[in-house]
Amino acid sequence: MAVSMERFVLPGESLDAEYLPSHPTLPLKLGPGLRHIPPNTITPTVAGQLCSDKRKNAVWVEFNGGRYIPTVGDLVIATINRPSPEFYYASLSDYAPQATLPNLSFEGASRKTRPQLQPGALVYARVSLANKHMDPELECVSSSTGKSDGLGPLNGGMLFTISLGMARRLMLPRPAEQGRVVVLDEFGAAGVSFEIAVGRNGKLWVDSTSLKTTLAIGKAIQETDLKGLNPEEQKKLARKSMKDF
Amino acid sequence: MPLDTSSYSLALLRLDGRRWNELRRLTAQISTQASADGSSYLEMGNTKVICTVSGPSEQKAAGSDRGERDKAGVRVEISVAGFSGVERKRRGRNDKRINEMATTISSAFQTNLFTNLFPHSTITLSLHLLSSDGSVLAALLNASTLALIDAGIPMKDYICACTAGSTSSYSSNDESADPLLDLNAQEELELPFLTVATLGGSDSVSVLVMETKVQVGRLEGMLAVGVDGCKQVREVLDEVVRERGSRILEGTKL
Amino acid sequence: MPRETAPSLNEKLFFQKALEENLRIDGRAFDQFRALELEFGDEYGVADVRLGKTRIHTHISAQVTAPLPEKPFDGLFTLTTELSPMASPAFEVSRPTPTELLLSRLLEKTIRRSQALDTESLCLLAGQKVWAVRADVHVLSHDGNLVDAASIAVIAALQHFRRPDVSVEGESVVVFGLEEREPVPLSMLHFPLCVTFSFYDLGGGAGEEEGEMRVLIDATSSEEMLRDGGCTVGMNRHGEVCQIAKLGGVPVDAVVLLNCIAVAGQKVREISDFVKGRLESDRKKRDKGGWMEELRAENDRVS
Repeated sequence: MAVSMERFVLPGESLDAEYLPSHPTLPLKLGPGLRHIPPNTITPTVAGQLCSDKRKNAVWVEFNGGRYIPTVGDLVIATINRPSPEFYYASLSDYAPQATLPNLSFEGASRKTRPQLQPGALVYARVSLANKHMDPELECVSSSTGKSDGLGPLNGGMLFTISLGMARRLMLPRPAEQGRVVVLDEFGAAGVSFEIAVGRNGKLWVDSTSLKTTLAIGKAIQETDLKGLNPEEQKKLARKSMKDF
Repeated sequence: MPLDTSSYSLALLRLDGRRWNELRRLTAQISTQASADGSSYLEMGNTKVICTVSGPSEQKAAGSDRGERDKAGVRVEISVAGFSGVERKRRGRNDKRINEMATTISSAFQTNLFTNLFPHSTITLSLHLLSSDGSVLAALLNASTLALIDAGIPMKDYICACTAGSTSSYSSNDESADPLLDLNAQEELELPFLTVATLGGSDSVSVLVMETKVQVGRLEGMLAVGVDGCKQVREVLDEVVRERGSRILEGTKL
Repeated sequence: MPRETAPSLNEKLFFQKALEENLRIDGRAFDQFRALELEFGDEYGVADVRLGKTRIHTHISAQVTAPLPEKPFDGLFTLTTELSPMASPAFEVSRPTPTELLLSRLLEKTIRRSQALDTESLCLLAGQKVWAVRADVHVLSHDGNLVDAASIAVIAALQHFRRPDVSVEGESVVVFGLEEREPVPLSMLHFPLCVTFSFYDLGGGAGEEEGEMRVLIDATSSEEMLRDGGCTVGMNRHGEVCQIAKLGGVPVDAVVLLNCIAVAGQKVREISDFVKGRLESDRKKRDKGGWMEELRAENDRVS
């Protein structure tokens, strides 16, 4: 993918055409953080890094927002609050309206066989409906294939809070090159086995065979996030924390 | 002005004639209020308290003291009668000292009661202090225990409370200082003291509040006397409950 | 209004298992404080304490007023605490929460009731004019253990504060500006600090055998959310306990509590030394040219 991150932009700035991708046939696609003022002005609405993809003729702004705003298709980690006859009520982030997760949107769920989730359980889910005026809706099954695709309840492990930007970086197809997060690869290369799930709502779930490993991985990502470590420093951090177990 | 308790060292008798390890007269009744789900009246010396319990009833709407969703919340309201003290004065709703006592009682019973049996509900304790002569928090806790037993709310064990003090003022480092049990208002004004509440006859301390300055070495003795006092209090409370129980049994005999 | 999400089951279980293995989520030892930082402002009596992510700002101010009629020889000392939505969205303006109630009560009991500040020394003219000293505690960021951090902030700020010098002649009181005469420090009798313990009952379910107890110091806000009970001990470096508050919560054996008090004494000494060191370096920074000693009009007080 030919993603390039060229420059930082501020809201209200005028963008020169040279920063926008030009494609002979495809129309220009504007992603989050950009606004089109007819006839042909494009201005950023948030402060962040301007990214463009030449092949898809798309352009957007990467920014590290404070609060998660649900968007259709996002993978999130939700905490179940309470059950009801039709839905589970789940929360995605603090002080935000609850999301609903229909009882039947699990793989192979029917009226009789559906997972019984306790209040406080974690689920890995996809946002299936995010409307400005409604509470978001989640699903744990792909509506087209009926398969879970790895979604569903998360058992054991530990939940860590990370920034939204970090969650996006971790979920890129190749986080090492595109997101410059190498700390996980470093753990993997050393033969540490672990499981992780990243939620776009700034949550990171980690599980492994020992508590110490789980903690070390969670803390390493949090530290990378907080201190903005570069790949070299991340490698050092990973090696240091692996000494403990 | 400080009172004179220096006579203690001569006769080893306190101003009201008690020895160091004696409780004041502790009497109590339960089921005193017909309209409440549970009620009690308790006297510790001249400190007099009425407690009524209502609930478990439906959860009250929003409020900081509603419990977790799968447990009952314990709400405590304390009203201090204007005539309870030496001076007649009205206390506002926002008296922080009273609110702190309410939070304490609520938190102590929240863990002692099996609140998980009553989800989505509230247990309301309403306490009235009729006369205040020292050991107020202890009296409130004891009265609450009795009223909750009367209301039939399952609990792990009695919470019994009393106060303990020390005859040394914090400035003097005399080694001969004795710990004292169950202080009255005069002694509370003058001596360092703590309120301790234990779970039943065990040494587990549920509430421990001290508001006066004392040397750390003094503390162990005070705490030991306090815990021992709680065991005595438990005997008395137990007696009250048993007597009430046997009367009920007699009443139901054919 | 939507509330803060309670910790999930996974977090609760993981936390409990970690405690069983003597691990804390942030890798500290059980009896270890987070990194403590203390900074003083340009003005006298401004202290900024950071304990991990918890941050507390304290400002001391003084003015001359009439004393209370029942205490004509005593100056006034008031402590006000403010938890604004800045610290955490859980706090709302003008709606006091139990956290705020306990914070202000514990500070009051530890510092004011234990006579840390010698209020008699604040008297200027008996029954007519006294100093009213006011300590404003602002919580800027809430990540647990507000009480300990706030007590450090208030005690440090009180020691740092200098009130304007005055001269009393008959019935008239002259207050000198900071330029006219070197301001004087407050007279403090002792320096009490709080140490808060959090109790975790690993026995689990109700009615079972009493389980093992874990005791943590300086809990973060997520640790505070999961705790079964807490106890705050206020004491000074001379081993005088000013206040104990174990306000309900899980029952704890009396021996464990006495242990906590011993640990608190040790921690208070460590923190007192830290505060002293910072005050000393701040004094050196201000004392340009070494004139401070000469300008002082006060005699040393032996305490």
